[in-house]
Amino acid sequence: MFGYVVRRLLQLIPTFFGATLLAFLVIQLAPGDFVTRLELDPTQDRESIANLRQQLGLDQPLPVQYAKWLSGILQGYLGLSLSYKSDVWSVIGQRILNSMVLVVLATLMIYLIAIPIGVYSAIRKYTWPDRTFTVLAFLGLAIPNFFFGLIMLFLAVWLSDLTNMRILPIGGMTNEFLHLGNMTRAAQILFPPALIGTLVFAGMFWWRVQRKQAATFGIWVGLVLFGMSALLMLWPLLQGPGLPERLPYTESPLWARATNVLWHAFPVVIVVGTSGLAGLMRVMRGQMLDVLSQDYIRTARAKGLNERVVIYKHALRNAVIPFIAGIGGLLPGLIGGAGLVEVTMAWPGITPALLEAISAIDIYVIMGLITITTVLLMIGNVVSDLLLAWVDPRIRYS
Amino acid sequence: MKKLLVLGMLALAGLALAQPKVFKGTEPGRAGGAYRITSISDPRTWNPFVARETSSTDIIALFLPYLTTYDPYTQAPEGRLAKSWEVRNNGLTVIFKLREGAKWSDGQAIDADDVIFSATVHADQRVNSNSRSSFILDGQPIRWTKVDQFTVRADFPKPYAPALIQGWYIVPEHVFGPAYRAGVQQLQALWNLDTPAAQVVSGGPFKLDSYVKGERVVLVRNPNYWGVDERNNPVAYLERYTFQIVPDLNAQLARFLAGEADTFAAANADQVAQVLERIRANRLRAEIFPNVDVTLGTNFIVFNWNHKDSFKESLFRQVKFRRAMAHLMDKKSMIEVALGGLGQAQWSPISIPNKAFFTDDVAKFEFSPQKAVQLLAELGFRSKNRDGWLVNAQGKVLEFNLVTNQGNNVRERIAQIFRDEARKVGVKVEYRPIDFNELVRQLTSPAADGTRDFDAILIGLTGGIEPAFSRNVWELNGSLHAWNLGTGGKNPAKVEAFEVLIDTLMKRGATTLDQAQRRQIYVQFQKVVAENLPLIYTVAPAYNPARLTRLGGMFPKEQINSINGQAPYIETIFAKE
Repeated sequence: MFGYVVRRLLQLIPTFFGATLLAFLVIQLAPGDFVTRLELDPTQDRESIANLRQQLGLDQPLPVQYAKWLSGILQGYLGLSLSYKSDVWSVIGQRILNSMVLVVLATLMIYLIAIPIGVYSAIRKYTWPDRTFTVLAFLGLAIPNFFFGLIMLFLAVWLSDLTNMRILPIGGMTNEFLHLGNMTRAAQILFPPALIGTLVFAGMFWWRVQRKQAATFGIWVGLVLFGMSALLMLWPLLQGPGLPERLPYTESPLWARATNVLWHAFPVVIVVGTSGLAGLMRVMRGQMLDVLSQDYIRTARAKGLNERVVIYKHALRNAVIPFIAGIGGLLPGLIGGAGLVEVTMAWPGITPALLEAISAIDIYVIMGLITITTVLLMIGNVVSDLLLAWVDPRIRYS
Repeated sequence: MKKLLVLGMLALAGLALAQPKVFKGTEPGRAGGAYRITSISDPRTWNPFVARETSSTDIIALFLPYLTTYDPYTQAPEGRLAKSWEVRNNGLTVIFKLREGAKWSDGQAIDADDVIFSATVHADQRVNSNSRSSFILDGQPIRWTKVDQFTVRADFPKPYAPALIQGWYIVPEHVFGPAYRAGVQQLQALWNLDTPAAQVVSGGPFKLDSYVKGERVVLVRNPNYWGVDERNNPVAYLERYTFQIVPDLNAQLARFLAGEADTFAAANADQVAQVLERIRANRLRAEIFPNVDVTLGTNFIVFNWNHKDSFKESLFRQVKFRRAMAHLMDKKSMIEVALGGLGQAQWSPISIPNKAFFTDDVAKFEFSPQKAVQLLAELGFRSKNRDGWLVNAQGKVLEFNLVTNQGNNVRERIAQIFRDEARKVGVKVEYRPIDFNELVRQLTSPAADGTRDFDAILIGLTGGIEPAFSRNVWELNGSLHAWNLGTGGKNPAKVEAFEVLIDTLMKRGATTLDQAQRRQIYVQFQKVVAENLPLIYTVAPAYNPARLTRLGGMFPKEQINSINGQAPYIETIFAKE
């Protein structure tokens, strides 16, 4: 096993060079460079255009440019952005983190909803709830995210007209000013129900444990959701009354900023989540149907096992194996951003930055992002393989 | 006693601002309030020597001073940091007097050292500032020297008409000086986006307060600013100025419709309709001014006079051919279809909003397929072949490729309309959108033998107020002499008489100081271009500004223009509520 891991890690090195060299060549093969668009500016003369190319090192032969970039990478330096004139990491770092908020929340939402629905659909195959989920899944797959994002924006404007309150945000990730007073009052109203909910679910949990039964999925979800909300509301309850009614975002306490970001993320996560949800739901259903028709399930049923045990212990555990193996594949997706919806809903993620970099041919920003994605993809693959060996006893590496 | 103290302080404050700039607003305003606009992309830097795009310079212009600019009411030169000037030596020397008592936000005086230092750095070839062209005239440097603490002097190698427009940004020498002496790289690393906002010193109406990447830039009033209104109250009135970064036009519209942005420029008729509908439904207290002006940029078709194919080269060089092509441009349909009914036909190179130089009295080869057919027949294309294309006596088909840059919907539609009309009369036009950078390469990079490999390109150039700044397009050896490009900075090999005339007019226009004479020169220039059509102009998209009614100090409808926008000065905009 140890030997296998070392071998896999060593294989990453040539893959890395190959992938980055290819990316570098593809970017350079596209016509034009960073300076090209300035050539159509009537106030720029030939001399200053040539000067700029020379200063940015764009006039050097490709192998030299690649070697320079590579020697930086080996020292952990991603290069200098041509348009920002600063470190590539300082250009993309914050944006990757912003995108991660969306991607992590959307992934959680997808897995928490898709797996139970998939299982349900498989067990009740061809009933009307199954058909409803199927139709919804195809709708979710068919609507492009960026378009759904625009619909969401107009829904937000419409809702605020209807109620005269800002129920959904009009794009963006934060507000310029946070209404701490409103937040505190909302927390004061919402805290008691959250606390009661937490206590109810905790009671149910305790009750099942007393009877030596495992808690159901629903109890777990309820406990976590209510418990987290109650915990989050503790801060505004304790700190809120002493704070001013309104503060600029940058001067607000952490809990207020986090709440504000979560509020802005809500519609975007719904948009990002739906398409992934739809796909995963269908895959889960198919997997489950596959496993349910296996011989060992028939055996389990024949020996008189409870249907719950058959489904959750024998079928589900086998059906989720491909998902566990896929977790490694999520790693590069984490920094890849949530796609065009970030542009339409003005989320300051990595996608708008990448699109700007591509249209300006800011090579080192593009290369920096490709490098990080490549490395994460390679690590993710190794992790996937190891996880697979861990959950599936039939697979062994030697 | 207390009163006396306050009075004394006020007197002192008055002394400190001995020579403030008076900003004449459209109505008396009051201090306070916030101004929020949307911006399509993040700034790249706060450093004026590095900045190259409007997303950066729009913000830098709010916190760094410059000597002079255009008066928003008359378009004549107007002093900003320069209080006054004096032209000597038949225009070869200009002496600028600075405002005494002007201060940076950190309390240091803004004086001649700052101005001379900034000029030196902008002119430095190693720095390659975007303003470098303001310091070179036909390859010779413009020299800036200090006369005394509040006087600077500019010496020009020849008389230069735009000499009084000095809009390059002035930086605090005490911040940039040490870095510049340490090296160009240190200078360029200053004031990047990671620099704490408090360290970015301001000499303009606002100063940087905070920047959240991808979200917003916030500026606040600079209390040390050297401007006042007509009643001697300090400006800017606004307390806070926010750029919200929204990279999508529809999302920008949504912000405006929700009342979260104060101004908006509708890009097309659909957006205008949405704003109007919301105003009529009483959901938004705002005003919109559709088609109140057109934008400064120009769109045109250019034919390649340096073609490998000698048949095409000689065809494109025929003025009759170009006039025939102009006759095939259905500008009415272009406005209807490509611009959604909002825009104007353009006939000559100077942008329509540029009232100081624009003339409508030029030759117009209006849409007329019959005239086009007749002109083409005069060139020998009298019969059609089996496929219905025009051919000449030798059986050569009248055909060419037309390209424009992919993704620009307006240009793509204009090109399609032109193609369809041309094909109707038998001119075989093949239209194809291509990548922008590839298009620029075809246009600006001739092969070793001086030929270029395109037939016709539909492209646009940004416009400005000063025609002399477009000399790279019109002078014979210009780098953007797009139809007939010379190699290596030299004149093209074969030149038509009218091109020499344009070159002469441009050179005279740039060196004539009398405004009336200048206008005459540029009027003649527009006539020559419209007559000979080296570039065939198409249509100009409309400027459709909108604003919330909570803003005061804005232009009334008649005065709105796409050069200044909706208000004369940012300093005199205020919040009514």
